[in-house]
Amino acid sequence: METVFDIIFIQELLLSTVRMATPILIVALAELYSERAGLVNIGLDGIMTFGALSGFLICYITGNPYLGILAGAISGILINMIYAFCTIHLGAEQIVYGMAINIFAPALASFIYKIYFGISSTLVQATLMKTVPIPILNKIPVLGVVFFNHTPIVYIAYLLVPLTYVFFSKTKLGLNYKAIGEFPKAAESMGINVMLNKYIACIICGILAGIGGAYLTTAYISTYSDGVVAGRGFIALSAVIFGRWMPGGVLLAALLFGFTDALQLRLQVMSSGTPYQLLAMIPYLSTLFVLAFFGIKKAGPKANGKPYFREER
Amino acid sequence: MSKKIISLILTIVMFATILVGCASSNSTSTTGSTSQVESDDVSESETEDKTYKVAMILDSSISDGGWGAACYNAMITAAEKCGFETQYTDNLTTADFAPTMRSYADMGFDLIFAPGNQYTDAVKEVAADYPNVYFALLNGTVETDNIVSLLPDAQQIGYMAGALAGLMSKTNSIGFIGGMELDTTKIKLESYEKAAKAVNSNIQVYSAYAGSFSDSAKGKEIADSMVTMNDVDVMFGDASAVDSGAREALSNYENRYDIGQPSDLLAIQESDVVIGSVVTDNAAMLEICMEDVKKGTYGNKTIYGDLSNGAISVGTFSDDVPEDIKEKYLEIVEQIKEGTFIEE
Repeated sequence: METVFDIIFIQELLLSTVRMATPILIVALAELYSERAGLVNIGLDGIMTFGALSGFLICYITGNPYLGILAGAISGILINMIYAFCTIHLGAEQIVYGMAINIFAPALASFIYKIYFGISSTLVQATLMKTVPIPILNKIPVLGVVFFNHTPIVYIAYLLVPLTYVFFSKTKLGLNYKAIGEFPKAAESMGINVMLNKYIACIICGILAGIGGAYLTTAYISTYSDGVVAGRGFIALSAVIFGRWMPGGVLLAALLFGFTDALQLRLQVMSSGTPYQLLAMIPYLSTLFVLAFFGIKKAGPKANGKPYFREER
Repeated sequence: MSKKIISLILTIVMFATILVGCASSNSTSTTGSTSQVESDDVSESETEDKTYKVAMILDSSISDGGWGAACYNAMITAAEKCGFETQYTDNLTTADFAPTMRSYADMGFDLIFAPGNQYTDAVKEVAADYPNVYFALLNGTVETDNIVSLLPDAQQIGYMAGALAGLMSKTNSIGFIGGMELDTTKIKLESYEKAAKAVNSNIQVYSAYAGSFSDSAKGKEIADSMVTMNDVDVMFGDASAVDSGAREALSNYENRYDIGQPSDLLAIQESDVVIGSVVTDNAAMLEICMEDVKKGTYGNKTIYGDLSNGAISVGTFSDDVPEDIKEKYLEIVEQIKEGTFIEE
């Protein structure tokens, strides 16, 4: 119990927070790009699973985790194109197709894995991405280890947050992009190609969600098993709402979830007398708690979830 | 109009793929419609050489590299010996346990294999409605006319792992990862702790539950935190794919070990982390079930698996286990077998 205030304990806790928040952050950003263009994509979990499989598969075949990440991104786009075509072109209900992706993609991933690797009593291991410490900065006590000793994907994920902020708030392109999620008709009348931008949104969403999945199987652990995503896509979905559709808020949400999850695992180890279900609830309880206080006002894009028909009045 | 047609085609393609992905069947049963017709003919004429069929349900995946894979392989091994056809459905949610078993029962399967304590309620419910279909419940405690429980001795498994962990630990801290808080997992943890303390009274046991059998990333986090915070140097787990994650974390440190189950890990794969395995042979127990089905003497019993009938055994050791510890450990295993290791 005396370890609670130990500096190493805090360092390890924060390190674990950053690690656990990363996949959620990447995928939440994917959803942010999608919803800002008016497309609610609840198929994140499915895209992640497929990204996790193809990332792992390519990493296993080539021995290069970076190619795995690339494969994850490409397969993310491919899967998300089904969603894009049906919701943008055919104007289908977004929730239904998101759910369809959630059923379809993991089943396809599971099928491919079984065909390729068969049924073995141990999991196949591929190469794990190596951490690349940032020189000088990683020498800072505590913070250096916590923030500057990770795989490049982690740096990119955190860098994406300010970049996304700048894109959405400071560039004309970003404002145009946001207009599509707010009021597509007005955007169209101002000469913005709504359809094209919506497809671009789906491509970005597919890339990031695919990378989020591939990160799990190439940079976090080096194996794939069915269910490895473990609902992280849904948590990312809630992180977007929680973060009120702003990149900074999304970052905070992902970090809060990572922190409470890392904390509950450590509390379990420290107090074996407490029923683990109680501690496992902490991340979800704190999310509920924060949502109850900060998430009441509707802040999302106005045309979010609505199909857009060019000719309709 | 063309949009509607395209969307229809897309939907059909999607559904077809889902069906293929969900229920990819074992090669013996994918011979197509012809074999289906044949087996129908056989049952009509009621000849002696009826093809018996066994189906398995699973909440994780059969390719999870742990519990699911071990149980599936056990079914395949037993089915080959007894001449059963096999079929499985994996990645089920709790709500789908009973409906899936019902459809297998409706499809004329003779035996349904539910590999885990968590299926108990669903098996009881379905078995009551299908008196002519037999159910084998692994880690179960139910005995009826058509349910037989297979019960590998969780206490012995826990003792064996605990004794090895206790003997091997140099830091006097050992760890345990559970998937869900199942009865068998609780017994394993309890006996793991008891056995470790019996061989080394200074030992401290740390435990955590991942709340999942498939979230290997979480397994890695748990193992990481146990090593850095509590200096744990030997771990044992009851959480299939989560254990693989834990082993991956342990491989980043020097002199940190893991004990495997239920397969003999070192016999299949090389590892610098695994020092040994507690092996459970579910195939032998399933074989008894299948023979009973054939003889028509099924039901009202529990098939126990322990060290004395070979259902539980000691796996391959790694080179990291010194000879003297190995000898001492095998002596203890002998005591566990006799029941003299820890007197209740």
